[in-house]
Amino acid sequence: MNQIFLVLKREYLTRVKKKTFLLATILTPLIFPAIILTIVYFATREKESRSEELLVLDQSGLFTDAFDITSYDFQFIEGELEAAKQEMTDRGAFGLLYIPKMEVNDPEKINYAGFELYTKTNASVSAINRMESSIRSRLESIKLQNSGLEKEVIDNLRVRVSLDSFNLSETGEAKKSNSELSFAIGYGTGFLIYMFIFIYGSQIMQSVLDEKTSRIVEVIVSSVRPFNLMMGKVLGVGAVGFTQLLIWFVLIGTLSTAGLSIMAGGGSEAIMDAASQQMPAEAMQAMEPTQQQAMVAEIQEMIASIPVVKILACFLFFFLGAYFLYGALYAAIGSAVDSIQDAQQFMFPIILPILAAIMSMFFVLDDPNGGLAVTMSMIPFTSPIIMMARIPFGVPDWQLALSMVLLVAGFVGTIWVAGRVYRVGILMYGAKVNWKTIGKWFTMKV
Amino acid sequence: MNILEANNITKNYAVHKALDDVSISIPKQSIFGLLGPNGAGKTTLIRIINQIIMADEGEIFINGERLQPKHIGVIGYLPEERGLYKKMKVGEQLMYLAELKGLSNSEARKRIKHWLDRMGLTEWAGKKVEDLSKGMAQKIQFIATVLHEPDLLILDEPFSGFDPVNANLIKDEIFELRDKGATVIFSTHRMESVEQLCDHIALINKSQKILDGPKKEIKDSFKLHKYSVSYKGDLVGLSSNFSASETKEEDGLNHSIIQANGQSPNEVLQELISKVEVHSFIEEVPSVNDIFIQIVEGEK
Repeated sequence: MNQIFLVLKREYLTRVKKKTFLLATILTPLIFPAIILTIVYFATREKESRSEELLVLDQSGLFTDAFDITSYDFQFIEGELEAAKQEMTDRGAFGLLYIPKMEVNDPEKINYAGFELYTKTNASVSAINRMESSIRSRLESIKLQNSGLEKEVIDNLRVRVSLDSFNLSETGEAKKSNSELSFAIGYGTGFLIYMFIFIYGSQIMQSVLDEKTSRIVEVIVSSVRPFNLMMGKVLGVGAVGFTQLLIWFVLIGTLSTAGLSIMAGGGSEAIMDAASQQMPAEAMQAMEPTQQQAMVAEIQEMIASIPVVKILACFLFFFLGAYFLYGALYAAIGSAVDSIQDAQQFMFPIILPILAAIMSMFFVLDDPNGGLAVTMSMIPFTSPIIMMARIPFGVPDWQLALSMVLLVAGFVGTIWVAGRVYRVGILMYGAKVNWKTIGKWFTMKV
Repeated sequence: MNILEANNITKNYAVHKALDDVSISIPKQSIFGLLGPNGAGKTTLIRIINQIIMADEGEIFINGERLQPKHIGVIGYLPEERGLYKKMKVGEQLMYLAELKGLSNSEARKRIKHWLDRMGLTEWAGKKVEDLSKGMAQKIQFIATVLHEPDLLILDEPFSGFDPVNANLIKDEIFELRDKGATVIFSTHRMESVEQLCDHIALINKSQKILDGPKKEIKDSFKLHKYSVSYKGDLVGLSSNFSASETKEEDGLNHSIIQANGQSPNEVLQELISKVEVHSFIEEVPSVNDIFIQIVEGEK
């Protein structure tokens, strides 16, 4: 036990003391939002600045000023279609929108066709959608006017609905549920586990490989049992990951609490502006300052509705389980090969279940209690990611318990298998390693 | 008293037998040469003693006690394939290795200071291993092996890669450790260092122990009763028990190899004195190298 601790301590301290660790730990929670903000900034700026010419040949004469789209500079022209096409080429315009003559006085007619868009290269899907909706809303308003209904009546016909959903527990206690938030938490925690397996798994592998290539391993195993060395390594690297995670949680927690309280104060317009980008302009205009506060209150209520303690506890458990399970396998691979290049061929079968889990996560989040979700949340190789995706939506206790038991059995199993390969592998130099030799090492008496 | 007894050790790998019924006894405070060509099974035996791998059959006793995990503190092992953590500082590294052997932090600190001083490496304690020269790194490895003052030192090819100055330094350290009570197992196929250092040897070839015992006795048993003699006069009329060969003249002296037939050196000398004026008389004792080659070649 003391040996494991000594190995753990070394693995932990050598990593945590590195400057790169400090940088990565402090900067990552800041870098991700920064990257997203930068992308959003450039994307919006680009849209504003880019105004490629788009010719509009409007033979109906109904669509003047109909296109309130900043992506393009709409230029109305006249004449025949063939001439207009020629003009588009001559002027070097990006495209040509052709609107034919049409009948708008027939209240029965609802299908309008014959609009044509000619472009040099494919126009973006969103631009086409917006053009379609511009045309549609113009036609709709013309038809509404023709129908003789008053504007007020029409406005009052447009109602807004919000559906509050609740989870009813057996004790009859109704808790406000929120699918979007569950989705976000499920995806976030699952993804975090996925990321950590990759990052810290390969760190374990690297660490084993370093001991092997620097030839210190034989000195070490003359003092430490190979299994203890492996476990010390897995635990030490894991502790580093845990430290990093903890710092991230604290940082993100502090930052978002600060952010929320600023919003609750109703002061910062900048934040509201940022929020408005996610919302239809109409809705934002309708919002009064008191409604802003109501929205913040709602967010806070949503957060309160999440079983935070349960999710955190489960996350801890599945995070550790996944880490042990895969960490041991990474250690075994590191022990078997002489270089990172040789490791590639053994990585694939290990990465496969992780990839399968992350790829099926959307289906799982869509149907958290479906057959696929339940099955994958039981298999130890995929359960940490999939179970974390399911938990925010509510998982029957027996399933959670079974999944946990299976995961423990799973990681005990892989640690045992990995330990057997490891104890032989670390002392093998220059051996030609394939799955057969690894199998041989596994069965070998040492 | 033997510090180590290995009885009937057998170890099989998938396709070959690494050790076949090998027994050795290593007397306390000896420098014990474990000899054998590459692939003979030396490293396997050493790894079994270090509890890195387990013997299929046989038992090992250390100071009369069956080998068990606590004995790792008694043994200091310098493997042939050796290295250090490149990115770790010298002092921290020695501390880690000492603690793994069960030394307390304060005791380890004292001894590290002492040994770095002794090897003239004090100012390197805070440097990373990758900044050290190869020779310095090897000294650090040696320090790591002896820090916990092991009763039994196992050195596998300790001089490979050392320059002559450092090799001598390590040799002196080995003698001193022996004088202080340590026992040294010295595995090598470089015979000249065996000749200098070892008082006991064992020869392993093709997984089996061929011979072992005090170096002197082994050399005696391989004696061919040959004497190299230089003399004045003509060596004629020797008794039929002796024969002279390879006679040649140099600087006014004749040199011959006298082959005796089991007589003592004095008897040979008496016979010679009665015939010629003897200037030098040396018994030709086979070197360990000769014995080694003779046995290994003979086995083929």
